[in-house]
Amino acid sequence: MTKVKVATIWLEACAGCHMSFLDIDEAIIELADKVEFTRTPITDIKDFPQVDVGIVEGSVGNTEEEEVLKELRAHCKILMAWGDCACFGGVCAMRNTFDKEEVLRRGYIETESTYKGKIPCPPGVPALLDQVKPVNHVVKVDCYVPGCPPEAGAILYALKELLAGRIPVLPSDMMRFD
Amino acid sequence: MKEITLTVNGKQVKGKEGDTVLEVCEANNIHIPTLCHLKGLTDVGACRMCVVDIEKERRPVPACTYPARDGLVVQTHNEKLEKYRRLILELMFTERNHLCAQCVASGDCELQSLAYEYQMDNVRYPYSWPALPVDSVNDYLVIDHNRCILCGRCIRTCDEIVGVHALDFGHRGWKDMVIADLNQPLGTSSCISCGACFQACPTGAIFSKNSAYKGKPQECQKVNTICPICGIGCEIEALVKDNRLVRIDSPDITGKRGILCDKGRFALLSRKDERVKSALVRNGRGKLEPQPLSKAIDTVAKKLAQLKAQYGSNGIAGIASSQASTNSLKAFKELIAGTIGSDLIDTLDGDTYRTIIKGINGPRAQGGLDIETSLEEILKADCIIVVGANPLGSHPVAGSYIARAVRGNKAKLIIIDPAQNAFPYHATLWLKPKEGTEQLAVNVLSKAVIEKSTKKDSARTKEVAASLKDINVKQNSKRAGIDSDDLLEAADMLSKAKHNIIVYGEGVLQHKNPGLITSLLNLATIVSSQDKERPQIISLKPKGNSRGAWDIGIANSSQSIIKNLTSNNIKALYLLLSDDYVDASELPNLSTGLEFIVIQSSYLSSATSKADVVLPSPIWTEVGEEYTTLDGIAKLTSPLVKSSDDIKADAEILREISQQMKK
Repeated sequence: MTKVKVATIWLEACAGCHMSFLDIDEAIIELADKVEFTRTPITDIKDFPQVDVGIVEGSVGNTEEEEVLKELRAHCKILMAWGDCACFGGVCAMRNTFDKEEVLRRGYIETESTYKGKIPCPPGVPALLDQVKPVNHVVKVDCYVPGCPPEAGAILYALKELLAGRIPVLPSDMMRFD
Repeated sequence: MKEITLTVNGKQVKGKEGDTVLEVCEANNIHIPTLCHLKGLTDVGACRMCVVDIEKERRPVPACTYPARDGLVVQTHNEKLEKYRRLILELMFTERNHLCAQCVASGDCELQSLAYEYQMDNVRYPYSWPALPVDSVNDYLVIDHNRCILCGRCIRTCDEIVGVHALDFGHRGWKDMVIADLNQPLGTSSCISCGACFQACPTGAIFSKNSAYKGKPQECQKVNTICPICGIGCEIEALVKDNRLVRIDSPDITGKRGILCDKGRFALLSRKDERVKSALVRNGRGKLEPQPLSKAIDTVAKKLAQLKAQYGSNGIAGIASSQASTNSLKAFKELIAGTIGSDLIDTLDGDTYRTIIKGINGPRAQGGLDIETSLEEILKADCIIVVGANPLGSHPVAGSYIARAVRGNKAKLIIIDPAQNAFPYHATLWLKPKEGTEQLAVNVLSKAVIEKSTKKDSARTKEVAASLKDINVKQNSKRAGIDSDDLLEAADMLSKAKHNIIVYGEGVLQHKNPGLITSLLNLATIVSSQDKERPQIISLKPKGNSRGAWDIGIANSSQSIIKNLTSNNIKALYLLLSDDYVDASELPNLSTGLEFIVIQSSYLSSATSKADVVLPSPIWTEVGEEYTTLDGIAKLTSPLVKSSDDIKADAEILREISQQMKK
């Protein structure tokens, strides 16, 4: 049996969704029989192969994240969003109520512990987008597992649905935004 | 009420004429999602979650505002309606900054629950991310506009239930916001911090500082009890987690005695006064030092027995705060009047009782406090007189009843007070008699009503009229410093109204003039409608269990004992304060000439530092006891949390002292 190829990325996020995925505990053994993880932050593989399922954690807040996301979309058949940041913008999007310049100034110059701060700028680092966006506002997304982080059970449910050939929609009692 | 039949989702259901489609569906257990609807408030159709299809209507209509009619064919759920509801939810999430992960209401939010119900796992529309303020100026409440969905439930609760109407919508269109008064911080507005808006809020837009992040409702145990703080006796649903009080809610804010106020809902949760954690006994070096309770009880019993033997029963006096429960007060009376046999027993508010009872029993000879009417009568009133009282401050729920009657029944509100208009936004007329002429003013008003009256006079009215025969409306109103036109206008309102009621409070009682109360009772008698068996009058009593204390006869002494401590040869004083915080400044002569002072109290204060023995009292959340509301209804509290092992119920300690003394 050929294994289902999966790639995961994290964008503007805290890694909590990937941690929560690892919380599926022994179910990961069963999963490993059916799934091949290619590029993920866990395997630390850098290049994108063609995969069946792409999984994205985190929102889109800078030009690099936008590029990586578009690349994953181009390399996967089904794209799944994990967590509140990817689904809605989440905590990262809290900066959207402020100007980008204001956020950078506060972060790099006005922080209480900063002395002679400097705002880092491209090309050294990717430029911030004006607003942090959820993934589906940048590329087409096929399914979602919200939660901050999503419960391990919800992630497992979604993966099993995919393996069974269905596009998962979390039932109401599995929905979590916190 | 005419019965009507509707077809909902293909089934025949029955309802009453005048119901909305939503009400009919709810009565028939047909679930329609709602957000801006709250039972007991006027429906406004703000959120559109409850849209339904109705035959012959061109588009979906909100069920909450659509009047049910006989023969209506309704569909509450179909693909199109569900699509619309999900769309509404998504738009709500894009309108403001809803971040569940950091919200205090997550897990207890109607918006979130609906998003779960509708499996809203993504939002298709661009977010607005507006920069919105958070108002945290109020002592207890925070308004976070980021989480507001503009359902208006807080506004309608503040207006229709609390009657204060501090909140309303400000600005226009997408800049629309819930504002207080003329857009000022809640803490500086006319808001009375009752917290009803907090309970009405379906999201985390209004939350309580003292309950935030202490525990989600589903993690808490819910205990129903009553609030004994001011004598209204509001129903409480308390949330308790790990023996800690998390939140005090009302079981039904739109129901009877369920609004609650800042005192009941919030004050206890932020109270910083230091508790008496164990018994304290003054040692040889004159310092209060902690002792086991049983030892302290022993000390008190021995000392009291010795003093009784030395000076006689009346060498010992007992004074109780009327904040103590009826159980505590009964045991207190048993100890002081029974075991010790002292005649010197009183409450701290005994003077108030003596004034009221003298005032009532003057014309009536008997009846006592039972002649007073029920608080709920205020809600039916179409003309209210408030005399020397600030109900919104002292008894906020009574204040709300008055404000509600004004807003809901269009009741006239007449204030008689030389100093303050307690209802500047509600009062129709403020009669401002000169200080000291209040009784005259009331008498002149009575006279004016009698002169206007076309009704057949009852025997009582004739009696009152006879007592006022020397009053001349024009001359005497001038003497009282009131414009006679104002007075005639007030008399006109009273004569035209069908349901008058008089509410009086501390301003009347502080003068200790029973005559004023007699005059008020006379006025109530002549303006109360004939079908009422009692005059419609009610006094706002000083403490939570004043009525209970007075009913069991603790304040029957002829004079105030606390004020006459020195003149009565009193050698020892037993002071039962319970969970009333009483300062030494409220207890004159406490340190003069007394050999022995016992104070039983929940809180340390400048008073307890003068005691020889301090016994610990539980606070009302720690015991299940009886209290009597200011209108005479006995109610039982339930314990919400457990007190420490060193603290026993007041009554238990008092009985132990009694028993030891009898040995």
